[in-house]
Amino acid sequence: MSIAPKGNAVCEDLLRVEEVTKIYDGTIKAVDNVSLTVASGEIFALLGGSGCGKSTLLRMIAGFEAPTQGKIFLAGEDITHLPPYQRPINMMFQSYALFPHLTVWDNIAFGLRRDHLPKEQIVARVESMLSLVQLSQYANRKPHQLSGGQQQRVALARSLAKRPKLLLLDEPLGALDKKLRETTQLELVNIIEEVGVTCVLVTHDQEEAMTMASRIAVMSEGHFLQLGSPDDIYEMPNSRQVADFIGNINIFDGIVEEVESDHVIVRSADCSHYVGYGMSGNSGRAVGVALRPEKILLSKEKPAGKYNWCDGEVTEIVYFGAYTTYHLKLNSGKLIKVQTLNNARDLSGNFSLGDRAFAQWSDLAMAVLTQ
Amino acid sequence: MERSSDGRVDAVKGQVMHKISNALRNFSAGRHLLIGVPYLWFLLLALVPLLIVLKISLSEMEVTSVSSMISWRQGWPTLKLNFSSYLFISSDALYVQTYLSSLKYALLTTLICLAIGYPFSYFMARSAKHLQPTLLMLIMLPFWTSFLLRIYAWKMLLVNNGVINNVLMSIGMIDAPLEMMNTPFSLMVGMVYSYLPFMILPLYANLSKLDLRYLEAAADLGANPFKTFWLITVPLSKAGIIAGAMLVFIPALGEYVIPELLGGPNTLMIGRVLWDEFFSNNDWPMASAVAVLMVLLIMLPMAIYNKYQSEQSGLNS
Amino acid sequence: MNSNMIKWCSRSWMFAVYFFLYMPIVTLVIYSFNDSQLVTVWSYASMRWYAVLMQDSDLIAAVVLSLKIASFSAIISVFFGILTAFALNRYKRFFGRMLLSSMASAPLVMPDVIVGLSLLLMLVSMQHWLGYPERGLLTILLGHALLGTAYATVVVTSRLREMDGQLDEAAMDLGCHPWQVFSLVTLPLLLPALVSAFLLTFTLSFDDVVLSSFLSGPGYSTLPMVIFSRARLGLNPSINAVATVTIAIVTIAVIASSFYSAQQERRRKREQAQAYSDANT
Repeated sequence: MSIAPKGNAVCEDLLRVEEVTKIYDGTIKAVDNVSLTVASGEIFALLGGSGCGKSTLLRMIAGFEAPTQGKIFLAGEDITHLPPYQRPINMMFQSYALFPHLTVWDNIAFGLRRDHLPKEQIVARVESMLSLVQLSQYANRKPHQLSGGQQQRVALARSLAKRPKLLLLDEPLGALDKKLRETTQLELVNIIEEVGVTCVLVTHDQEEAMTMASRIAVMSEGHFLQLGSPDDIYEMPNSRQVADFIGNINIFDGIVEEVESDHVIVRSADCSHYVGYGMSGNSGRAVGVALRPEKILLSKEKPAGKYNWCDGEVTEIVYFGAYTTYHLKLNSGKLIKVQTLNNARDLSGNFSLGDRAFAQWSDLAMAVLTQ
Repeated sequence: MERSSDGRVDAVKGQVMHKISNALRNFSAGRHLLIGVPYLWFLLLALVPLLIVLKISLSEMEVTSVSSMISWRQGWPTLKLNFSSYLFISSDALYVQTYLSSLKYALLTTLICLAIGYPFSYFMARSAKHLQPTLLMLIMLPFWTSFLLRIYAWKMLLVNNGVINNVLMSIGMIDAPLEMMNTPFSLMVGMVYSYLPFMILPLYANLSKLDLRYLEAAADLGANPFKTFWLITVPLSKAGIIAGAMLVFIPALGEYVIPELLGGPNTLMIGRVLWDEFFSNNDWPMASAVAVLMVLLIMLPMAIYNKYQSEQSGLNS
Repeated sequence: MNSNMIKWCSRSWMFAVYFFLYMPIVTLVIYSFNDSQLVTVWSYASMRWYAVLMQDSDLIAAVVLSLKIASFSAIISVFFGILTAFALNRYKRFFGRMLLSSMASAPLVMPDVIVGLSLLLMLVSMQHWLGYPERGLLTILLGHALLGTAYATVVVTSRLREMDGQLDEAAMDLGCHPWQVFSLVTLPLLLPALVSAFLLTFTLSFDDVVLSSFLSGPGYSTLPMVIFSRARLGLNPSINAVATVTIAIVTIAVIASSFYSAQQERRRKREQAQAYSDANT
């Protein structure tokens, strides 16, 4: 067994999932013809709501479920029908699944003992894992004597102890409270990068996926909606579903008026959109224009030019501390959200309820959604 | 040298293990064994005997054995069903009366257990938290001592020259001994005494989980303690009441030992009739028919209970 | 009604129920030391009936038989209880799962007389066809084991249900073969439930009179059968003595086990405190 090279150096494909389908009870398609490759050293996230099939896919990679169709390869070897105890893959479970009758030390040593490693080697490996997750002084405790964050680290150490080729994380932060999440998230990424292990994680939390993963697959109803880097998915969602799922977004329904190689013009009820990049397809097509609230500038003066602005009435102001969200009612009756950073302490000069306001944005701020 | 041969042995062992585990997985022999063994066990000891009882109840008693149900006539098997036992039971007033009085005693036992057990469980669930495990253990403790001996103890207390009569007479409260033994009273005392813990345990389990905030909310909305109890606590503990009632009613219906030791010759219960038909009259078909009807009688409340449970789980999901 | 009165009411109600539950047992014990031949008429305290007990060979033989049957029955019940609970808990759908689960709970709801009668009639037909088994220890054991399996299944199933299902998968994920999953993870976690299932089924068997009466043959009388036949005839001071002995054994066992578990709890707490103080220095 070898460890992947340190750092996130991307080598050949470590995991390859080929046209995998999982059907339960002959009718329910949990995973529908999914293919993906994960490069060595990568952190890959499967993102989606509950019941989207992400957990089933993870469980098939781990070996707890057999695909109905398709194949799974690890480092070129077909592991589709290998039982979980013969796969060089380890998983960190959502509930952590720490053995309650064993100490922290024995939990971490559990997998190593199954491999019949020499005793000195087990001791050395467990000690190094304990220091990696900074739990050396808790070695003799039982899991129930640890806090949630400590349990999570034991679970991580246990799943890393066998130096798996692939680490699976099932909702790694799901059981922690919100405050603990942020610090744990960073710790987790640091440890994974330090070890250099390739990682597939499953989460329903888009922030978690974006901060941790180098690539994300957004899943719904058993198939991938979009697969790409976090900023691809955030900035360039390819469908309304993805746009809706990731963060806050305004979507204008419109008709394509002009298509050129370097720009597209879309006409919606409240304004004309000049999108600064080309797309395929003809004019006259119905599309959606997606626009993030933080990319909109709010002003009291009417902007110059005929594209990329609209006006409306401020109907609601929600103060979040670091930023404020304004709800703007456009002339057609459509509501949009605008987010402004509160980077000055003086809030005078901001808008109040009932004010007329102009919203404007740049021609590269939008994404055209064709589906 | 030794080491390498060890290594080879290990490798071979590993391969063999691997093959075995693969074989197990592929034929899922483990699964078949795990399901098959208990299946066979219960099939042989639970289902087949009941079917045999059903069969014998439809047969006729011959001198030393039961007549065969299937006879061969001109090379063809002929099914011979004999409903005489059932006809006899349904036409004989004594049997009908026995079934009815069994139902009556079982129902009465359930109601008395509920009347005693509900307030008890309620108070127990409201008592100091650190006392509750001990209080609970004290309810379960008699269960570990012989049931038979506890029934015998009541016989000792209730007979005419028994402990209760002796005490009452010695302090001058009564002149002549009270006639308590071998009456419906002594039967009910024994039944309630034996089955009370079965009522208390599910009720306590239910009531101790009751969220006190519901009661606070009810009080906050203007309900007095009695209204709160009647409108909030009792409906929320319905599941516990039903579970407790089932645990008391069903075994009470078929009880044999208590009526035999405490009930005297005049208290009619089906368990005793079955026993007598079998052991005294040696009438197997009749005993079997009594048993079959008893099973039917038990299945009715069971079916209602199962329906209630599936409705509950349907509501929760 | 003020809260003091409610408190008084609840206390006296609880006291009355405990009095009702324990008064017969206490009376039974007290009168076992009564010298009189008339069980309920107190003459003076003596150990007379215990001496009689030591000479009562029927009773001693019955105790030995009951202990034998109860031990075997408990072992068999726990074994089949584990299998049944696993089959029902592990495999959510297989042909006839409903049938298995209702067969496993049937002995719990059927009156003893029906279970006894049906088993006996089956054994009689078996004997008719196969010439085996003779009625005696084995047939009583079968009846008790059937009843015990049903109870053991309930105990094991409830423990399995509250166990984290991901533990099995975690063990497999870390390299356990299926049988290692069972021996290294499931069995140790199941052990407390198995101990209580054993004690429960032992007690059930040791206590049973109805099944034994149906299933025993000539020369095989269990302790409850002997007590029952004597109690049917009337009051018998030897029963008081037997009762006192069994109550004493049960009480000692219960006190010892609760003392042991309290000690375990204290030790666990001490270790925990130790671990926390170690972590802080």
